[in-house]
Amino acid sequence: MIKIDALKKIYGTTTVLDIPSLIIPKSQCLGLVGNNGAGKTTLFRVMLDLVRATEGAVSIDEEEVSKGEQWKTKVGAYLDENMLLSYLSPEEYFTALRKIYRLSEEDLQLHLEKFHDFFNGEILETKKYIRDLSKGNIKKVGIAAALLGKPEAVLLDEPFENLDPSSQIRLKKLILKEKEENLVTFLISSHDLNHVAEICERIVLLEKGLIIKDLEDKSHMTEELNNYFNVS
Amino acid sequence: MVKTLIKLELLKRIRSTSFARSLTIGVFMLLIGILLLGYLLLFGLFLNKLITEVLEKPDAIYFINSNLLYFFLLELIYRYFIQQLPVINLGNYLHLPIAKSAIIHFLLVCSFLSPLNIVALLIFGPFAFIELKATFGAAPAFAWLGAVLLTSWSMHWFVLWFKQRFEDSLIGTLVVFSALLVSIGSSYFGLYDLGAFFEPVFTFALENPVPVFLLAAVLILSYFLCFAFYRQNAYLEELSEGDHLQFANQDLGFLSKFGLAGEMANLEWKLIIRHKKSRTYLTLCLLFLLYGLIFYNNPAYVKESGFSYLFIFVGTFITGIFMLQYGQLFLSWNSPTFDFYVHQKNGLRALVKGKYLLFTGISFLCFILSVPYVYFGWNVLLIHLATFLFNMGVTIHLVIYMALWKPKPMSLNKGSVFNYEGMGLSQFLMIIPLVAVPYAVFLPVAYWFGDYSGLLALSVIGGFGLLIFPMISNKMADAVVDKKYEISAAFRQEL
Repeated sequence: MIKIDALKKIYGTTTVLDIPSLIIPKSQCLGLVGNNGAGKTTLFRVMLDLVRATEGAVSIDEEEVSKGEQWKTKVGAYLDENMLLSYLSPEEYFTALRKIYRLSEEDLQLHLEKFHDFFNGEILETKKYIRDLSKGNIKKVGIAAALLGKPEAVLLDEPFENLDPSSQIRLKKLILKEKEENLVTFLISSHDLNHVAEICERIVLLEKGLIIKDLEDKSHMTEELNNYFNVS
Repeated sequence: MVKTLIKLELLKRIRSTSFARSLTIGVFMLLIGILLLGYLLLFGLFLNKLITEVLEKPDAIYFINSNLLYFFLLELIYRYFIQQLPVINLGNYLHLPIAKSAIIHFLLVCSFLSPLNIVALLIFGPFAFIELKATFGAAPAFAWLGAVLLTSWSMHWFVLWFKQRFEDSLIGTLVVFSALLVSIGSSYFGLYDLGAFFEPVFTFALENPVPVFLLAAVLILSYFLCFAFYRQNAYLEELSEGDHLQFANQDLGFLSKFGLAGEMANLEWKLIIRHKKSRTYLTLCLLFLLYGLIFYNNPAYVKESGFSYLFIFVGTFITGIFMLQYGQLFLSWNSPTFDFYVHQKNGLRALVKGKYLLFTGISFLCFILSVPYVYFGWNVLLIHLATFLFNMGVTIHLVIYMALWKPKPMSLNKGSVFNYEGMGLSQFLMIIPLVAVPYAVFLPVAYWFGDYSGLLALSVIGGFGLLIFPMISNKMADAVVDKKYEISAAFRQEL
């Protein structure tokens, strides 16, 4: 369970994030939507303790993220390329992670097999460094890495961006499967309303750092979102 | 057009997140630079006196002319290491309707505004204006100076071309190194005197303007050689692309024995051999291994008892150059992937420990490789042992401590063609305090109790440092963890 409590992030005089309270129960899939500058990525960064919160705190299973490190074994994340070691080949990167997470080689093999279709034969055994892969393929590596090590929660920033349509569909299936089989909590930010509305049972709408909608009713979700985002 | 480019470059500097730091370094460098150039001018003013009175050569002009070649060889070497191309981000401009050749011309002309290009003028200018003008008249003096300057400036373009063409390959290092050997070897062993062979060229310039025209042609040719090469390679892709994975996929297996920190050291090793910039540092490390040859067999440094104090400096460098150089940019090497380490459990601690491990390993390797120097006497081995211990016990922490002061991001993946970010004179200058510390320990003890007691003091303090190594390295790791938000914000360029 992830709990956000009176969280504020202020740069200079502008408040970019102001969330009085948000609780994400286990195995929920939460979609985070909002226009550019709404604070989606900042929220993720604060949740992962990459950026210091100005006020308030984020706790994962009752552990404050800025105080301990135990939560790091429970949370997988892929925000951007800074989270990859781009000078390694994908295999080497997964091997490095395997050693950090103390998994066996069989564990890694089993994990990568899940991504066989998603990788589409363009990731493994290509003799390329991650930095030389296309944007979409880099994203695939990052997503597979975020799901490694049986995390209880996974944070993905714009996971559908740069992916081809087939890969987007495969990714949605992967997420739903992980959620059902392993009760993984997902936090997904996206600009693609159809995708998030399809896989998420709850959608949070951010505007200038504030939660202005918290939708849990699947039947009205799309309608409400369309109303908000439709500009004339 | 040129105005816009200059303005854009200036803005880039001023708005960079590390502007304040660059400014401090810049002012410091400017002062040092003026001081050095002042010394050179002084040297130039007294050149004639030095040759006739100190060296007791009757014919100063003949002496200079027959030794100019060595000066130019030396110039070639220092240019190779110091000279750099003004960095411009090609990717920002290539797609715009600006002629590629205009961009390259701009780059090359900018690079010419360098203090290195007035070194020859400062040294030989006074000599030409005072001595030659009095003996031969104004025109021959100018012709002679012109010939010298044109040679020096041709070298500017030649080195720019050479660095770009052969940098990062063994050939480049070998050529520079053989130039060094030829220049030292020929004069030292007196086998052949290349200098005397070239002497007539400059003597001729005193009588006839032909060499000046010829050298001017060489200058223009070298400029266009450089221009053509840069113009041809003004693309974003790397010059040589190939199956690089096969070349650089060696693991350092033994590191895995050290747990997570070992794993990080292993990753760091891959980072080093897969990026051009870090590879250069590693090559430099090999070059410095041979550095001792210049000093240890040099009769000028032989003393009746004990050894020359300069050897402490040599020993520090031979056993620790990699740590000193690579450590300067401690965390900057990881700036593109810093979030990765922050996000791993104990990632930052392991990263710092891994770096310690790697520095120790490579320094130890350098120490082992330097053992053959024992040929020059047992004291050399002792010096290396003492400086190695001191490096591992004390200097390593100093390097890391200093490097933690506002690290700035650095791009390692940028096309290597125009990437000299972070390399240059300033990196060499920051080493000064690190070299001063072993002397601060060695000199007092050596003065009161003898040279070998000085070495013992270095070893003991170094050994003590090694004993409390876990404590200090933990403190350093704490410092990194404490500052992680600032560092990662700086690396994301957000501030």
